[in-house]
Amino acid sequence: MKAIAWLAGLATLLVGALYMVVSLNRWEWNRALFFGLIVLIAEVGLATALILRRIGQIAPRRDVDPAVLAALRTTRPARPNRFAWLEPNQLNVFITFLVGGGVILSGIAWLVDRIAANTTTPAGEEQLARQLGPISYPQGGLLVDDVTVLAQAVPGCDDAQLRRLLRRAGTGGRR
Amino acid sequence: MRYVGAIVALAVTVVAVVMLRDATLSTHQDVDPDSRIELVLRVRTNSVEAGQTLDEMAEAQLLTCRLEVSSDPVSPLEDLGDGRFRVELVPSMDETDRRQFRGCLEDFMIDHVQTDVERLEPVG
Repeated sequence: MKAIAWLAGLATLLVGALYMVVSLNRWEWNRALFFGLIVLIAEVGLATALILRRIGQIAPRRDVDPAVLAALRTTRPARPNRFAWLEPNQLNVFITFLVGGGVILSGIAWLVDRIAANTTTPAGEEQLARQLGPISYPQGGLLVDDVTVLAQAVPGCDDAQLRRLLRRAGTGGRR
Repeated sequence: MRYVGAIVALAVTVVAVVMLRDATLSTHQDVDPDSRIELVLRVRTNSVEAGQTLDEMAEAQLLTCRLEVSSDPVSPLEDLGDGRFRVELVPSMDETDRRQFRGCLEDFMIDHVQTDVERLEPVG
């Protein structure tokens, strides 16, 4: 009976895969999907059966002498309570852990803060200084000096560059 | 010996995948826009919903599948009797379109309908 079931599963898998390929070759996508689903179901079924068979093969190896097993069980040592320090009458240990953990965390936080302050602040200042460069005032300021203004009033002086310079500087602002 | 078997299996798999890729690859050629192609279908139904007729089913299948190619029917679906229908489409189809169209028509597209393509050939 098992052999028939195995053969049926294998045949389903192989024939499903064959028809899936044939359907793909014929451009029949819905059929290909359908047969792909059949292949998937057969594959999962066969894989499950293989795993169950494997487990079934392993199980007999676990047969042991019941007398030995009983002796082991009766002489089993008491299980230690690894969380005894959490019990209400043992709070001193818990508080120690809590305070100690707080101290360690505070130390780590202080260290991170110091490192950040010594690295990001100077770098940020340097970057800000670089960004301010393009919008800084030109050397000497924006106002035209007195000598240049008076030079325009000299009789016979007709300097186009000088006039352009004075217009750009805005003579109205120089009072 | 085990390695040889594995290598052979791998080679066969690779060749099969490449062949399948080639078989399902769209490679279109130019088609004369005035050319025609004739389609003859055999349509069967099973457990059809009440009120749905065979020619309705055939037309639905045809209209669904013509969206997969660039050809359109230029004549009404002609009932040849015995579940057979005929229609002409313009323009004709290249080899890839023909395979795709045939595959669509013979595929599970609409419930309760099974279509077989009896003829899909250029005319004129």
